[in-house]
Formats: sequence, C-alpha cells, structure tokens
Amino acid sequence: MTRARIPNLGGARAFILHRPHPTVQAITRQLSAIGLITVDCWPELPPGALAADFVFFDADLGFDEQFPWQPGEAPMPLVALIGSEAPGRIEWALSHKADAQLLKPVGNAGVYSALLIARQSFEARKHLAGEIASLRQRVAERQTIVRAVAALSKGSDDERAYAQLRSLAMSWQISVEDAARRIVAMTSEEGTGEEATGEEGGDDQSYRA
Amino acid sequence: MPRMPRPCGAGCGALSFLGSSLKRRIEIGILYSRSGSYQLVSDACRMGAMRAIADINADRSSGIELVPVERDPQSNADRYATLCEDIFRTSSARHVVGCVTSWSRKETIPVLEKAGGMLWYACPYEGFEANEHVVYMHACPNQHLVPLMAHVVPRFGANGFLLGSNYIWGWEMNRVARDLIADAGGKVLGERYLRIGETDVSRLIAEIRATRPNFILNNLIGTSSYAFLAAYRDLGDEDAAFRPENCPVVSCNLTEGELPAIGETGKGHLSVGPYFAPRPAAFASSFEASAYASVQVMAEVLSRDADAGPAEFSKAFAERRFPTRLGPIAIDAHSQHATLPVIIGRIADGFFEVVSREDEVAPDPYLSRYDPAKTFGRPRLRVVS
Repeated sequence: MTRARIPNLGGARAFILHRPHPTVQAITRQLSAIGLITVDCWPELPPGALAADFVFFDADLGFDEQFPWQPGEAPMPLVALIGSEAPGRIEWALSHKADAQLLKPVGNAGVYSALLIARQSFEARKHLAGEIASLRQRVAERQTIVRAVAALSKGSDDERAYAQLRSLAMSWQISVEDAARRIVAMTSEEGTGEEATGEEGGDDQSYRA
Repeated sequence: MPRMPRPCGAGCGALSFLGSSLKRRIEIGILYSRSGSYQLVSDACRMGAMRAIADINADRSSGIELVPVERDPQSNADRYATLCEDIFRTSSARHVVGCVTSWSRKETIPVLEKAGGMLWYACPYEGFEANEHVVYMHACPNQHLVPLMAHVVPRFGANGFLLGSNYIWGWEMNRVARDLIADAGGKVLGERYLRIGETDVSRLIAEIRATRPNFILNNLIGTSSYAFLAAYRDLGDEDAAFRPENCPVVSCNLTEGELPAIGETGKGHLSVGPYFAPRPAAFASSFEASAYASVQVMAEVLSRDADAGPAEFSKAFAERRFPTRLGPIAIDAHSQHATLPVIIGRIADGFFEVVSREDEVAPDPYLSRYDPAKTFGRPRLRVVS
C-alpha cells in the first residue's frame, strides 16, 4: 500500500493578493520559512499569477475583477484570508471555491496546514471534475452505442452484438464508446460507398474523413 | 512587533555594582525538569544555561547581569505551560531557556505568544515548525536525520526498523525516515512506539530479530532508550548480525550526557549532532553547548539593547553572526533556526569518536531543499527477471 506523502513545497510560488498590511508580513514570514517564493500584489493579480502554485486572496475587500479567471475556475489552489465573517463576504469567497482558509489576524502558525489542505482539496476537486466530464461524455454516447449494437446484430442477437462490441473495444484498446463510434462510422461509410457506386463516382469526400 | 513590556518585578531595572562595572540586571526564565525519565538531558541543558549565566555575570566587559528565574516541571508535559506563565507573571523575564521534549515546547508556545515572550530551545527536534517566539538552537532534520541516513544507507543498507517514544518527536522523525528510506530504495521492516518511561523492550527485540533490518533508527528517549540498547547488546551477543558493525542503532539525540546510563551497551552505535565533546572538553554534550550558546546569543543582543523585543531580535538575526563558544553562529531570520555543524559520532569508551563532519549547515526545517538524488545518489536499477 502506498502512503500519500507530504509534498515538498520548496521553491513553490505563492501570490498574496492583499493590500499592504501586517497580515501580508505574517504570511510572508511563514511562507519563507517553509521555503516558498512569495509575491505580494494589490489590487490586481499580475499575469505571472497564472503560473503560481498557490494564491492567497483577501476575502474582506476582494472582488471578481481582481482575478484573470472566472469565479471558481482558478487553475491553482486558493486560500481565502477571512477577517470579517460577514455572510456576504463568505458567500463571495465560496463563489471562488477557496480550497482552504486562514483567519485574520494571521499569527505564528496556520500557513503550512493551509497550504497542504488547499493543495490536497484542489487536486481532489480537479480529479473529480475530470472524472465527471469523462462520465458525462460517456453518457452522451448512449445513442451511439445503441446504433453500434444494432449495426453489429443486424436485427438478430443484441446480447451477442454487445459482447462483440466490448471485445472489439478491448482489442482496439479504446473505450466501448469510442469503439461504438468507430463501428457507426464504418457502417455509414459502407452505406455511403454503395450509394456512391450507384451514382458512378459522384460521391461526397467529406463522408470519408 | 512591540518592544517587550517589562513589568517590574523585584530587582528589575536596578543597577548593581560588580567590581567597577555597572551592570543592568535582566531576569531570564529557566524551565528544565530536575527529575523524571529524561532528566540527564534536562540537567545537561540546565548546566549549559547556568554556566553561561555565570560566565556573563563574571565578565566585566558585559553590561548586563542575568538573573535566573527557575521553575521545575518535573518531566510532566502539562506543567511547562503553567510554569512558563508563572515566570512571566511573577518576574520581568521575557526570555526563557527551556523545554526538552517537543511536546512541552508545543504546550508552551501559546503562553509565549500571549506574553510576547521568547523560548530558547536547545534540543534537537523533528522540524516543520518556525514560530517567531522560539529560537531553535539545536539541529532540525536536515542537520540530523537526513545526513545520518545518507551516511548509514551506503554502508549498512537501506532497510530500517523504526523505534520511538510515543509522542511527536518519534512520530514525526519516523514519518520523515519512512520517506527517506523509500527514496533510498529500502523498506521499513517495522515501526514501534513505547510510552515514555517504558522499559519492557522484549517484543521490540523479538521483532527486530525476526525482520533482520540493516539498521535501527532509535527515537526512544531516556530510560526506554537505555533499556533497548542493553537488550540489543544481548541480542548481538547471541547473533553477530545484530552487532553494531553489522546493524547499528542510529540516533539523532544521543549525547555524552547519557553515556553513563548506557555504559558498555552503546559501544559502536552511531549518533549525529552539532557537537561531540573532544577530550578535554569545554562542554560535556551538545545539549549543554547549545544551551550555553543560547544564553550567549541572547545576552549579546540584550547587552546592546536591554529592552529588545522580537522585532529587534529578528533584525539582529538578519544582520549578524554571533560569536559563541561553539564558534560563530548564524540564525536564519525567517525560521529562527541556527546554522550548525553536522557531526556523526560513534560511541567509543565513554565518548564519541568523530566519523564525519560538515561545518555550517544552514537550517531547512521544512526540508524544502531536500533532494533525494543528492542525498542517496542516483536510484539503483534493479534487475528484473
């Protein structure tokens, strides 16, 4: 069994989006001790932030236009810096899908665990999103599978046709959905070919793509 | 950060005459246990701090006189925080030299934060902490465990058996060791913990005999450690595979101070630290030397500014190196950890013979500069049949 290992954060880049304030110094001190490179910025994230490993952002005075991405679509783990616990501000921080939080004033500790938690939950979220997208795509291919099974069974045994589809997918080393798409394309190609012969070369090449 | 408040206790701010020099009295806390299972280590630290205080007070060129305010937590982890609070409440002290276990240090930190105080911590610890109310004056993992493993793996093999007393030092040291052993291509053949003070080690010995590791990482403390080394020596007498030249017990916190309790049974085993006592020695162990250096560095800053608070100390760390009896010491201003020598020693007759030495190793408490390839060389390719 492999154990999830605590990642080495040395050399990682963290952007701190907060107005000049002792909070920024407290976070910077902790980040430097842990071995990260820090960049302070306010009121906007500079272009370099797109390549950051972590972004800390102020939940008290923050607004959507500060970020070069849509709310909730940050390409890296976010840590919300929460001072006032006003519900509207928490709602806004949630809309950006912060992966961890630090309460202000920031003292002598908390940054290390925030980094580890943010990174872990960001990775988990990304993994889940990828899995959901792939499942959605597969669900969208239901009709293709029905058509492929129909083409293979030629009106006789559906079960055997489905088993044949699965074994084709395995031998081609692709998903059942991709195999179904290939079979549907092949059958419609065959159909087009027959028609083309009838029309004596007047076929449309775009079908053969 | 504000400068340190100095509510006046008895004698605070008074000027005393010592010979012809005018010295300012400054109270400092001493928080070491005078009894309990890790008393030898605690006594060594206390001795270092007290010797430094005496030397500074006797030094006519120093403008300060340090007055120790002492409390004894009796090796009870729950008493450190309350006694530290007591020092802050009943005296003008804002600096405390003290704590041996990481458990007690972590218990004390909230009190230090509340009072704006500072702890000078003179023992090796497991890393992954950088509190601005603590100055870490002994080694952290890149100054003990990483170089120790880099030494042991090529000579004895990468398969280890991990031992620890059941609290944060053992847990965290063994966590780092698991990663290091994996990087070295080895296996952890067992990981066992004993309650602090437990001396029944028969099961550990039986497991080690059964799993036949290449080395044993010993994070047991005090009497548990002594009992283990004695039983392991008997195992080595029965089976040569468990003699120190074949399967050493390696430690990151074993010093001369404990050799009298270990006696002959420790001979040939390895330890790592920033100091091993030469003969004749200025200090009996690295604990004593580090506690001494702690008071020296503290006094150096306070003698220039008796009211220096955390901000002034941080500035001094960023700007200066400090002459100490251990040689010049730098303290990283961000992490407040000391740059130290890394020495690997082998236990001989009542002392450590130096096996390897590297000077001025900068602290890396979060192991953020750790590089497996540099530590263990390129991963060895295995033949796949």
